[in-house]
Amino acid sequence: MLNIKNLTISHAEKSLFSALSLVVDQGEVVTLTGVSGSGKSTLLNWMIGDLDPNFSAAGELWLNNVRCDTLPIEARHIGLLFQDDLLFPHLSVGQNLAFALPATIRDTKVRRQRVEQTLSNIGLVGFHDRDPATLSGGQRARVSLLRTLLAEPLALLLDEPFSKLDAMLRTQFRAFVFEQIERQDIPTLLVTHDPADVPQGGRVIEISDWQHNHV
Amino acid sequence: MAQALRLALERALPQAPSSRPGLPWQWLAALSVMLIFGPLLPGLYWALSPALNATVWQALWLDAQWPQALRSTLISSVLGTLLACGVAALLATLHYPGRLWGGLQRRLPLLLSVPHAAFAVGLFFLIAPSGWLARVIAHFSQWSSPPEWVTVQDPYGLSLALALAIKESWFLLWVLAAVLGEQVVSRQMVMARSLGYSRTQSWRLILWPQLLPRMMWPVMAVFAYGLSVVDMAIILGPGTPPTLAVLIWRWLTDPDPALQARGSAASIILLIVLLTCVLAVRGLLWLMKRHQPYPAGQRKPTASRRWLKLHTPLFLVGYAVVAVLLLWSVAQEWFFPALLPDALSLESWHQADWAPFWTTLWLAIAASLLCLPAVLVWLEWGPKRLNALLYLPLIVPALPLVAGQYATLLHLHLDGTAVALVWSHLLWVLPYMVLTLIGPYRAFDLRLMTSARALGYSPWHACLHVKWPILLRPILATLAVGFAVSVAQYLPTLFAGGGRFVTVTTEAVALSAGGNRRVLAVQALLQIALPIAAFGLAAFAAYWLGRHRKGLR
Amino acid sequence: MKLSTLAAIALTLGVSTWANADWSQTQNEAKGQTVYFNAWGGSEATNAYIAWAAKEAKARFGIDVRHVKITDTAEAVKRVQTEVSAGRTTDGSIDLMWVNGENFRNLKNGGLLFGPWAQSLPNWGLVDLNKPVRTDFSVSTDGYESPWGTAQLTFIADSAKTPTPPRSAADLLAFAKANPGRVSYPKPPDFHGTTFVKQMLLELTPNKAVLQQPVISAAFATATQPLWAYLDQLHPSLWRNGKTFPASAAEMHRMLGDGELKMSITFNPNEAANLIASKQLPASAYSFGFTSGTIGNVHFVAIPVNAHAKAGAQVFANFLLSAEAQTRKADITVWGDGTVLDISKLPSASQALIRKAAPGALAEAVPTLPEPHASWVEALEADWLKRYGSR
Repeated sequence: MLNIKNLTISHAEKSLFSALSLVVDQGEVVTLTGVSGSGKSTLLNWMIGDLDPNFSAAGELWLNNVRCDTLPIEARHIGLLFQDDLLFPHLSVGQNLAFALPATIRDTKVRRQRVEQTLSNIGLVGFHDRDPATLSGGQRARVSLLRTLLAEPLALLLDEPFSKLDAMLRTQFRAFVFEQIERQDIPTLLVTHDPADVPQGGRVIEISDWQHNHV
Repeated sequence: MAQALRLALERALPQAPSSRPGLPWQWLAALSVMLIFGPLLPGLYWALSPALNATVWQALWLDAQWPQALRSTLISSVLGTLLACGVAALLATLHYPGRLWGGLQRRLPLLLSVPHAAFAVGLFFLIAPSGWLARVIAHFSQWSSPPEWVTVQDPYGLSLALALAIKESWFLLWVLAAVLGEQVVSRQMVMARSLGYSRTQSWRLILWPQLLPRMMWPVMAVFAYGLSVVDMAIILGPGTPPTLAVLIWRWLTDPDPALQARGSAASIILLIVLLTCVLAVRGLLWLMKRHQPYPAGQRKPTASRRWLKLHTPLFLVGYAVVAVLLLWSVAQEWFFPALLPDALSLESWHQADWAPFWTTLWLAIAASLLCLPAVLVWLEWGPKRLNALLYLPLIVPALPLVAGQYATLLHLHLDGTAVALVWSHLLWVLPYMVLTLIGPYRAFDLRLMTSARALGYSPWHACLHVKWPILLRPILATLAVGFAVSVAQYLPTLFAGGGRFVTVTTEAVALSAGGNRRVLAVQALLQIALPIAAFGLAAFAAYWLGRHRKGLR
Repeated sequence: MKLSTLAAIALTLGVSTWANADWSQTQNEAKGQTVYFNAWGGSEATNAYIAWAAKEAKARFGIDVRHVKITDTAEAVKRVQTEVSAGRTTDGSIDLMWVNGENFRNLKNGGLLFGPWAQSLPNWGLVDLNKPVRTDFSVSTDGYESPWGTAQLTFIADSAKTPTPPRSAADLLAFAKANPGRVSYPKPPDFHGTTFVKQMLLELTPNKAVLQQPVISAAFATATQPLWAYLDQLHPSLWRNGKTFPASAAEMHRMLGDGELKMSITFNPNEAANLIASKQLPASAYSFGFTSGTIGNVHFVAIPVNAHAKAGAQVFANFLLSAEAQTRKADITVWGDGTVLDISKLPSASQALIRKAAPGALAEAVPTLPEPHASWVEALEADWLKRYGSR
């Protein structure tokens, strides 16, 4: 369970939003909407642990009853997906995925097998040694999501992950993402400004609910 | 629908910006660059061809000075470059991303504008046996005479290596900062860390493998500079025998054709050393890439070592250098072991020779202003693939190039003229200006140009009225960079100027062999003041001209 | 009066009027010319004096004199050689150069000097012909260079640290051994360093007469053998064990001021006074020489054959030879360089100025030793570099 308690983020005396509180259950996808520049990405940055030093934040973040906001990024076990796929260009597709695999899977051969299996699950058989730059946009997006999920995160943050895809790909990938999330059963926060991105029956939160000064 | 509209616009325009630019513009771009590079080519032939003679190489081999000269050159440049890389890498790994990194970045431009010769002079005043550090120690250990340290002009070139290491680490940090400022890179760091890897691991596994190939050319430029540096070597390097670069310079300016040929041959050695190094580094990078282990997924949390404030001594040296120069410029009597001057006065400033200052000023203004149109035209209409050629003067050791320029000027009977002097500086000012401007230029939103063209402007007018005014701030910064590069030039001023033109740089180096440290300090400070003034002016002008246009600042 | 005397008078008058007419023509030609004067720039007193002379030349004769500061005259020689061999015979970059010794010899032998002109200068009449103004390191000048000043090798020390200085080569060796790392000399081919080596040679060589003759290799070996033996003994006690040498005399002055060295070297007996006045040496500095004497010479100015402003150069050289310029040059508070003029021909005020003493200057009378033949210089430098030029 992902729990934000009483979060206020301010920038030079002016608060972006105040007393934001949110609870996301296992397997639930909460959508956060708001106009551009309203602070959605800043909220995600704070949650992942990468808040810009120019901002100041007061509040708590709890994940599965463990306090997270005092931990560094690498200790939080929160997965992140950006609009850009951000596949590491110096590693092959398979190496990108293997990078995310936990160390508990030891032997190189076993790791490679696992990665190959993951690839075949998403329809990219034999793509292990391919250069990420040679993949199409949709393929890269899928690999990127799988990389995030392979690290076995306890929560997932999606920062407008579909905005760079064209309409058809968007629908396909969206369904794929929600399917994977359901399988993993982790709380997810989705930031988007496109109302079509909201999953079936999912909760929608407006960030302006916590903003007193209207933009 | 937006796409359809764009396609329609492009079809409607007589010549869309994305298609091949008009032929005359391409020719103009090529011509302006050819004027700077072209005459160099026959000069290179005239300068280097005497070396294509076996007897010359034999004479070089038999000369007793070259082994130690080569040794001190190699030690100073290799050690200097490695240290600079190491320090820059360490600081980046420790402090990026973080609050300290921003502060580091902001302080760099000030330190970067200290030219090499002035820095060498200041460092000399600090670490020489009668320098300030020795005086501090003498204060506590009751020395009456300077210690018998070999801290400057040591036979292995170590003090030169130190000076190079410190100065170039600032430069490499600045290059790194520019690369790390890119959003793609910073987000990769966040991505890697969100997958559970610590900062150090993310650096080692994700960032360095990508950055090392990109840093290769700046590092090679640093190495090439170290190989060919003459002004710092005269001030801090060994004297008996001097570094190979100084030796080459003396040989090349000797009227005896045999010695000139020997100088050419030795220049070729410098080129070979550089080439070997480039190949070695490329080979190393290739090996590293091949033997990349399969990601094992080990996550190792590392203790934060950010308390290790390594950047402090590095920056402190820069401030100390300027401080000691300032003290010397206002000192009256200041013998060892006094920590502070016995008396202060502005006499040195009143009596200072301002002629080199004015010469440097007009020369730098002329060089940067002349280069700017060439840079703009090249970036706008020049063939993009040939950019690498423009950067050659940065990577090739300066000595053979300067010798080539001098040979051309001699043949044209233009040596010692102001025109020749300005022309010779352009060869280095142009690449630096292109380097500075190319980032913002490429990042310029082309749709603004399309809009201008759609409103009926020709390519030339669109540039003049839309593109270049919007790029005002980068253009002003580029001018300042070109100005600073011209101020710091030593060898071109000496060769092309035929000894007739004295700049603050040549004056400072000439005075460094003398005894009056106050006069030397004044000239070194003048040398520092010029680029700082240029950068300050550029920043102010950018602010003032854009005071009503937030989007420009 | 005898006819021959009358004829002689007429001839002299005629010649001098003709010469005067000639000189006015030269002066007219010189107006507006730019004279590039290549002169050693390692001493501020010298540079300041040359700047004054340039200003006067501009005001009085309308010539624009530019002082091109060089570290070693050999560079200027090289430049002339290159230019002439490259075919640049009329528009050379050097119009007047401060030269003597082997540099003069190289230029003269290479036919690279304009002249003769020195003895046709109006101020030649003031020159003291008892001084060696017509031979330069045993090479006859033949009027190809005009005398400018005198110099004598002098040592400087700090009386606070060195009350009794060494006064011979043997003394110096003992002194160096007693003060290891505190004695040195500039690295040849810096002319101070070369002269130091020549000085030691003069003292140690068995047959001094050989040095006045052009050098022959057999004679060279025997003559210099004691010198190299001496230097081999001296070097380990020198600054930095004799592995590195200061680049110039000016650097040695600085090191003397800081106490890094106990002795410095100069060609100007009044240099110490200048340095004390400009606070580069403590007030306790003083000059001294060797008991048996130190090398002295006359230095000159010469005009390269391809000089562009020959007339301007001659007018300037003439001004440098004038009573006013020479007196000011000899003034200890300005430069203190010895005059080549016959002092008795100068007004008494000038004489008093020339004879003035200043603290730190050479107070004792040190005998002047003649310079060896110019050819010895290069041979010595080459051999020195071979033995000690790299470790």
